[in-house]
Amino acid sequence: MDFVPHDEETIKNMLEKIGVENIDSLYVDIPNNLKIKDLNIPEGLTEADLLKKLTELSEKNKIYTSAFLGAGSYYHYIPSLVDFVISQSQFFTAYTPYQAEVSQGMLQSIYEYQSAISRITEMDVTNASMYDCASALAEAATMAFFITKKRKVLLIEGIHPEYVETVQTYCWGRNIETKIISLDDLENNLNDEIAGVLIQSPNFFGEIENISHVAKIIRSKTKKCILIQAMSDPTCLGKLTPPGKNDVDIFVSEGMGNKPSFGGPNLGILSVKEKYMRKMPGRLIGLTKEINGDKEGYILTLQAREQHIRREKALSNICSNQALSMVAALIYLVSLGKTGLKEVAIQNFQKAHHVKKALSQISSYSIINNKPTYNEFVVKCPNVDKLIKKCKENDILPPLRLSNYFPNRKDEILVCVTELNSDESIKKFLQIAKEAI
Amino acid sequence: MEFPNDLKYQATHEWVKIEGDIAIVGISDHAQDQLGEIVFVELPSVGDSLEKGAVGANVESSKAVGEVVAPVSGEVTEVNEKLEDEPEIVNSSPYGDGWIFKIKMSNPSEADSLLDAAGYQATL
Repeated sequence: MDFVPHDEETIKNMLEKIGVENIDSLYVDIPNNLKIKDLNIPEGLTEADLLKKLTELSEKNKIYTSAFLGAGSYYHYIPSLVDFVISQSQFFTAYTPYQAEVSQGMLQSIYEYQSAISRITEMDVTNASMYDCASALAEAATMAFFITKKRKVLLIEGIHPEYVETVQTYCWGRNIETKIISLDDLENNLNDEIAGVLIQSPNFFGEIENISHVAKIIRSKTKKCILIQAMSDPTCLGKLTPPGKNDVDIFVSEGMGNKPSFGGPNLGILSVKEKYMRKMPGRLIGLTKEINGDKEGYILTLQAREQHIRREKALSNICSNQALSMVAALIYLVSLGKTGLKEVAIQNFQKAHHVKKALSQISSYSIINNKPTYNEFVVKCPNVDKLIKKCKENDILPPLRLSNYFPNRKDEILVCVTELNSDESIKKFLQIAKEAI
Repeated sequence: MEFPNDLKYQATHEWVKIEGDIAIVGISDHAQDQLGEIVFVELPSVGDSLEKGAVGANVESSKAVGEVVAPVSGEVTEVNEKLEDEPEIVNSSPYGDGWIFKIKMSNPSEADSLLDAAGYQATL
């Protein structure tokens, strides 16, 4: 499908039609002092000069051969098929189709994505994707408000600090109160004024929460409070109980098939129980049949609640999706298949537990987590600075200093081990740990 | 298109049938016709208290969403649950089986200012 910009004549016709002299007069409402006169943009470069400049810039990147950093963005092996498929020009756009139904192939890919995510999460309905996990979680919190009409949500400690900030920002705009509590205090904080409970599992510290137990507490204490689960690395769904089996109302996640590259671009996954489908933000693609025939076709469905129709009464300001990242996630899942995803999950679990155990056996190192973990865990170290420095010297992207987010946890690091950490890199990392005392 | 004389109307296209202190609310024939095939009706909850002018329900077709504005103040005593599975009843029987919710009026005099059939038709 071609995207042709307006030519001079079309612009002239449109201006004549609405009775306006020139484009500038469309902006007369903007005070002159707010209009930008000159943009400080340098002259264009030749292709050769541009390539040289970009290459110089990219050479400033430090690319490590192995990484022990996760904290919301994870290195996983991405089959070559993913890049091959998403590089097809028909898919290679970051945008959702706006003249949707003429882009049947794109719509089919979204439909297949929705179906694939619904299968691995065992949730009823998945939308066409959001921006990332943080914004999907914030949208889920506002959804809880739309469903229950209550203006308070509880955040269980252990949610990624950046997700928490995003949720607080969205909720502030909607006049929804947020309260951060420990899981132990959940029961005491629950009542029928609570719109939703937000919990991350595996949480920021890598711990797998007992979601079905949380669901039971919520159901026993409230009539319609919404249980929202966030998950940073959905590869664990290859092995962990899917949210649909744990009575989760709204599930959000991100990643899969997309590279960490500074944390993005990514996609936000949002899946819900069927009864909440109509409060779900974003796009949804459906499969339908011709009225007078058997031909199948894909359509944008349930869009009447979106902002291009409902304006300020829309449930959300999202009217797009992360098309390219979404296709990547779909092809990733399709490449791995059911057994492949399970294998990824098992490898992450086993490798991470091997490192966790080995670290715990080094004197003056200890594991902080007291719940089961997936591919991340928190370690108390004798000398964090030295460890981080030595990692970098040895071409290892070091684990996260927990003090980046929690200033008083100076001695702790968040270690992530995935299937991409080779035995060699693990040996090297453990050796560094022994020396960094 | 029909506009029964025994009903009261609002310019926002709701009809009201007063039975004692209960007001039965639906949308007019004109409204259902304009919306087209109705695919979903979002009902209020029994027990909700609505002020006159507040949005009581949403009626959704494939291309638009219409709001059903409470014509009088009061508490919702009953909702038409049949519409959850068969929203198209609003199209086929807007004044009959397609009623949407019932309100126990807290201020029955509010009904006096509603339009009669001729008055509503004049707004179309």
